[in-house]
Amino acid sequence: MLDSLLALPNHLFETPIAAIALTLLAFFAGNQVFQWMGRPSWCPGILIAALIVVLTLVLLSVNYEVYQQGAAWLVLLLGPATVALGIPLYQQMHHIRALWKPILFTLPPAAILAAVYSVLLAWLAGATPEVMASLAPKSVTAPIAISITEQLGGSIPVLMGGLLITGVMATFWVSVLVKILNIQDHRVIGFALGINGHAIGTVRAFELSPTAGAFSSLGMGLTAVFTALFLPIAWRLVF
Amino acid sequence: MHVIKGFLILLLFLLSGDALVTLLNLPISAGVAGMLLITLWFMLRGRMQEDVALASQPLIAVLAMLIMPGVVGVFFVAGRYADQWLAFVAALVVGTFLSVLTTLILMSRFTPKEPTKDEDRSC
Repeated sequence: MLDSLLALPNHLFETPIAAIALTLLAFFAGNQVFQWMGRPSWCPGILIAALIVVLTLVLLSVNYEVYQQGAAWLVLLLGPATVALGIPLYQQMHHIRALWKPILFTLPPAAILAAVYSVLLAWLAGATPEVMASLAPKSVTAPIAISITEQLGGSIPVLMGGLLITGVMATFWVSVLVKILNIQDHRVIGFALGINGHAIGTVRAFELSPTAGAFSSLGMGLTAVFTALFLPIAWRLVF
Repeated sequence: MHVIKGFLILLLFLLSGDALVTLLNLPISAGVAGMLLITLWFMLRGRMQEDVALASQPLIAVLAMLIMPGVVGVFFVAGRYADQWLAFVAALVVGTFLSVLTTLILMSRFTPKEPTKDEDRSC
């Protein structure tokens, strides 16, 4: 009886249903815990949800690869979800038209430098090519960063860790540097949060003001599009 | 029904994106190509399709859930990369500091002053 009870988790994970259910469950539970904690910017809700999955897998002694194969059925939706990001992009178009000049002078250099700084520093510190490919799109919003790192030959788990830390660090550095540089324009602050801190920075920007939030979404979207186009092409030329 | 129709349109744009990057041998992903194609399509039409917006809202709302299985992987592979911790600190902490600094300086240099109607005393 006990033996068959212990073998039950692995039986249930033979079809993708258990992995999908666990992912949904952890998503809702993680969100709830995140609300209880008062929505801290240093600990994104997605990290709590992931920890719930990790704990469940370890407690039930289910292999991580088995979970990943099952969850792949859900992750398949990332393709159409990425296409769906075209809708907010289209809705931002009037901002882009109104401010095309500062955007043109700021966004491409900022997005290129964000990738160059991280790859260069990682290379100087002795990172392998795989790690450099995983860290290069670290300022890009996750669904698009995943497709970029696949093009470059990086590791998705390493990228995901890098994305979370980058989002938290970008939020921290923006709050410090804005005081030092005495910047009060919420359009500039929002844009910097979105370009460098993707979705995590954008959440912070919406807490500051709707203007900062709108510009953060814009910065995040344009950085994603620009980096998705430039990085794989640059990578092909350099490596 | 409208949501399913919108979902079908998203899938068709994803497939078109895939066809485009495969035929032209582009290094960008099918999803990103599909996103650009659908944006371009809306710009040409001058408006969005209601069905697509209906299908997109729930998908965008659960984006965090779709990328979460990738975050789970971090905890199982972290040990393999422990010897490169310095590279991670350099790229993620110092690299992000430098890119935030660059963005703030560039952006405050090139952004025109805010129109006088909403003054910056809200800060």
